[in-house]
Amino acid sequence: MEHKIEELKAAAGDAIKKVANDLKELDNVRVRFLGKKGEITNLLRGMSQLSAEDRPRIGKIVNEARAQIEQLIAEKNSELKAKTLQNKLASEKIDVTLPGRKIQRGHLHPLTLTLNRVKEIFINMGYTVEEGPEVELDLFNFEALNLPKDHPSRDTQDSFYITEEILLRTQTSPVQARTMQKHKDNAPIRMIAPGRVYRRDDFDAAHSPMFHQVEGLVIDEKITFGDLIGTLDFFCKQMFGESTKIRLRPSFFPFTEPSTEVDVSCPICHGNGGGCKVCHDSGWLEILGAGEVHPKVLEMSGYDSSKVSGFAFGMGVERLCMIKYAIDDLRLFFENDVRFLNQF
Amino acid sequence: MQVSLKWLKDFLDINITTEELAEKFTMSGNPVENIIKAGVGLEKVVTGKVEKIERHPDSDHMWICQVNVGAAELLQIVTGAQNVKQNDIVPVALVGANLPCGKKISKGKLRGVVSAGMLCSCDELKIEGDSSGIMILPNDTPVGIPVAQVLGLDDDILEFELTANRGDCFSVFGLVREAGVLLNQTPKFPEIKVTEDAGKNSADLIEIKIDAPDLCSRFSARVLTDVKLAPSPEWMQKRLEGAGIRAINNVVDVTNFVMVELGQPLHAYDYDEIAGKVLNARRAVAGEQLHTLDDSNRLAKGGELVIADAEKAAGLAGVMGGFETEITEKTKTVVLEAASFNSASIRRTSRAVGLHSEASGRFERGINEKATVTALDRAAQLLQEMGACKVCTGVVDVYPAPKPEVKVQFTCQQINDRLGTSYTEKEILDVLKSLGFKISQVTADFDEDEVFDKISYAAKHLGKAARNIARNSEVDDFVQSIGKTVGELMKHSTPEISATYEAIVPDWRNDVTLPEDLSEEVARIYGYDKIPATLPKGSQQGGQSKLQNFIDSIKNILSNLGMYEEVSFSFTHPSMFDKLQIPADSELRRAVPIMNPLTDEYPLLRTTLLSSILENAARNYSRKNEDVRLFEVAPVFIPKSLPITEQPFEIQKLAGLIMGRREPKGWTQSNSEVDFYDIKGIVEELFDGLSIYNYTVEAGEHYALHPGKTAIFKKGREILATVGEVHPAVTESLGINKKVFVFECDVETLMKCTAKKFTFENLPKYPAISRDLAILVNLDVAAGEVEKVIVKAAGQFFKEVTLFDVYTGERISGDKKSLAFNVKFQSKERTLTDAEADDAFKNILAAVEKNFAAELRG
Repeated sequence: MEHKIEELKAAAGDAIKKVANDLKELDNVRVRFLGKKGEITNLLRGMSQLSAEDRPRIGKIVNEARAQIEQLIAEKNSELKAKTLQNKLASEKIDVTLPGRKIQRGHLHPLTLTLNRVKEIFINMGYTVEEGPEVELDLFNFEALNLPKDHPSRDTQDSFYITEEILLRTQTSPVQARTMQKHKDNAPIRMIAPGRVYRRDDFDAAHSPMFHQVEGLVIDEKITFGDLIGTLDFFCKQMFGESTKIRLRPSFFPFTEPSTEVDVSCPICHGNGGGCKVCHDSGWLEILGAGEVHPKVLEMSGYDSSKVSGFAFGMGVERLCMIKYAIDDLRLFFENDVRFLNQF
Repeated sequence: MQVSLKWLKDFLDINITTEELAEKFTMSGNPVENIIKAGVGLEKVVTGKVEKIERHPDSDHMWICQVNVGAAELLQIVTGAQNVKQNDIVPVALVGANLPCGKKISKGKLRGVVSAGMLCSCDELKIEGDSSGIMILPNDTPVGIPVAQVLGLDDDILEFELTANRGDCFSVFGLVREAGVLLNQTPKFPEIKVTEDAGKNSADLIEIKIDAPDLCSRFSARVLTDVKLAPSPEWMQKRLEGAGIRAINNVVDVTNFVMVELGQPLHAYDYDEIAGKVLNARRAVAGEQLHTLDDSNRLAKGGELVIADAEKAAGLAGVMGGFETEITEKTKTVVLEAASFNSASIRRTSRAVGLHSEASGRFERGINEKATVTALDRAAQLLQEMGACKVCTGVVDVYPAPKPEVKVQFTCQQINDRLGTSYTEKEILDVLKSLGFKISQVTADFDEDEVFDKISYAAKHLGKAARNIARNSEVDDFVQSIGKTVGELMKHSTPEISATYEAIVPDWRNDVTLPEDLSEEVARIYGYDKIPATLPKGSQQGGQSKLQNFIDSIKNILSNLGMYEEVSFSFTHPSMFDKLQIPADSELRRAVPIMNPLTDEYPLLRTTLLSSILENAARNYSRKNEDVRLFEVAPVFIPKSLPITEQPFEIQKLAGLIMGRREPKGWTQSNSEVDFYDIKGIVEELFDGLSIYNYTVEAGEHYALHPGKTAIFKKGREILATVGEVHPAVTESLGINKKVFVFECDVETLMKCTAKKFTFENLPKYPAISRDLAILVNLDVAAGEVEKVIVKAAGQFFKEVTLFDVYTGERISGDKKSLAFNVKFQSKERTLTDAEADDAFKNILAAVEKNFAAELRG
């Protein structure tokens, strides 16, 4: 009996070992030895014929044998499962270098992206965003800004006229006058006015009959030229990076006194030159005009220039955008070639 | 305005580089745009003396020269030129020279003989002269000095881009005055003195009249006799050349020279050609003939300022002289004019004539009318010094209303307050004085009220001290108390007390009239970079309007939906209306016309965004970008009346366009092209994102769209959007051989139709039951109508309906289509029973059978 058990164990061990990679085959082995009609089961069934003193001993041996076979089957089972999974994974290998599935992503125009950043910076500083008509009265576009008819400065802003008194605005500055006239009693103002402006310029790499400006105006008691400098310095650092410097050159605008043109240190080459296409190795880029609001401009729009003062600035959005992205041709903005637009 | 450095150096010691000087000018408000560097390429070219010359042993045309270039050793240079002799002084390009002609000089051997440089011809130095051989310099030329210096090519030219307000700087004197302040020097201006030696009085020879005193505020004239026309001296020609003015003859050159030097344009008339010996500044009569010195006959529009003699207009004042009175070889007697003309009038005339001269530019900016006589004297003096004329006695000067002095009252506090600076009174006054302002004090350092306040304050504290003495009788305490009081008093007498000053503005500064103008003078001279950068005090609420936020939302949603934002011009052309098939009587053709369009391309302001967006699609298509998804938010311009009498309506519109592939090109993607339902889906998603619900969609008509593929989105009476396929005739006229789909909306209408409130809806607690309904209906039945009927019939537990299949084809009859809907039922209170759903489904079926003769599909 004991001998037979040993034989069975060995036979089962061999059978399990022989199973190569088929789980079903392994199950057949299990049925053959451990199934209801299996050989170990049969042995247990034959126990009743044993003597009472042999029964516990042999029973123990048979049970041990059964446990051993079960153990072997379980081991083989997990070995086979692991192997099957491995084979499955191997067969599923793909070419991971194929491009990913394309999703259509949209794009805001680079001018919008630039303007959004400008608006964000100024809104955070407490500025409101004001608007005015693009077809403007000469009165607001020029006269209220201390630019009477025949003023030589009008030459530099060759205008598209609709009638003698109505024109396409040449600057966003008329929004200054309109906003001031909406306010009463020298009320403080902090505003920017972004928008389209028009000048009678040819359409080429550096000129366009339509472009965008952002006007800024701050009016309050004791607003100084130093406040203007601090504000623009902060703006330029936010826009072009913390290491950005500004340079102010005295200039002339009829609506400000003192007036300045503002250069920003080249954010591309940082003044290191080396054939910088953006600043032509000068290290500086002109980005805006500004100044303390001329007392006549305040008075014309109902503010008392002895009680309040203010500063104003105006900048070209295209210019900011061209500097930020090193774009060298103004036409790209208005041709709307999708190969240009999808880069932003 | 351009001027040579040497001209400035006539009056100032300039010991800094041209670049440094330019920087100083620029940073104080007179920008130097460009420096034309003299002698570029001549840096390593010096004068040399040929000490010895001998034939090259191996060449029959080359010479070996031993050249003294001022160095310890002679240089051996081989030349092929045949005109060089011993002791000639010649330009020598040293090793390392990079000549203007492009030659680079290096040490080398010519047929075995070492040559350390090159003797140069005029051509190689790019200067005018005989180039048949080496340039031979005068034999008294010093040896070993830069050739540029010898040739007068060592003078840099400064090109200024002056601002419109600084007419005074359109002159050498003006720039020298500025530079003097910047360099802290007093310029050495020449003495202007004239000897009146003709023995005649100017006033006896010529009469000056001003009939248009509003356009000519002063007219001064001098008469010069015994005029000998000749070329002007070389130094003057050089100066003029540096200023960009061509030399002509001594008389004309002197008028130009004085104009550049002093800023006062002069005009010279041939006295013998002046009819009636009178010059009158008057308005031209309309149609009057003008024979100008360019020998063209011009017709006056009327109203232009002319200088006329007794018979005819002898020139457009300040713009162009007359033909007859021009200085010629025959001229014996000259009348010199120095006048002040109205800048606006000159500007109008010069624009009308299309002629912008050195003179008109100066008049437009405004000249110093106090200095007309000085300019005449200077010109007479220069001509006299050349021996070119005799000068008559006196100036004929008509100056009906002399300009009063401009006085500006200011306090230093005012200037510091405007700038945000703390310059001392001395610093401020010093700058103003150095710029030529005459300063006087108007009031005392502090006013009486302030003094009274201080005395009361002192008295109060002395009283306190006295009371202390009365109590303690301690002298020490008294002294201490007095000391404390004085200390307090000192603390309160802050230097804020500011005297009022008066500045008399110098004659040449037309741009200064207000204290604010003075603040700029102080700031620009000390430097804008010296002003402390601060931020405005206090805070305010920032933000943008509801409409601006709404437009931002539209842009964000559409870009999230894969659309590209475009920015296009506001202009359009009538031919675009034709291409878009806009009917002849449509309001959209009544566009705002531009009076002076740039070209014929864009004479109108657009009335629809479709014109722009389709043009952009066409441009992309022509560039082989065939997959295009664009949108734009921008205004269109609708006139209130035509012709235009007031500003038009500016209406914010939104347009979108798609064409080409539905999905980006890729190995996994199908190449299917977009259709109507793609653009409609974009509009639906946009509206969902903008919280626009409960709108209807119906088939509609639009001039530019396919008649069978046009949908109108409506909410009540408001039209939210027009969506459709662009009419094939329109795409064809635009050169697009592809289907294009567009939409256009009115932004403010969209904003009006957004749901005012948005609150979150809780997730369902009970499961939904769904039923599929597949029906056959006639082909012309609109699915949207069927859907409406389903919704109406679905009962209280209706949740949503989704059309999930549309089928036409061989499995069903040719005049039918199959629509398959999924309908969901759900209750918020409990789980529905199947029976409830079945009941609702039966009602729906009955309704569609009744309304559309629908049959349930088996």
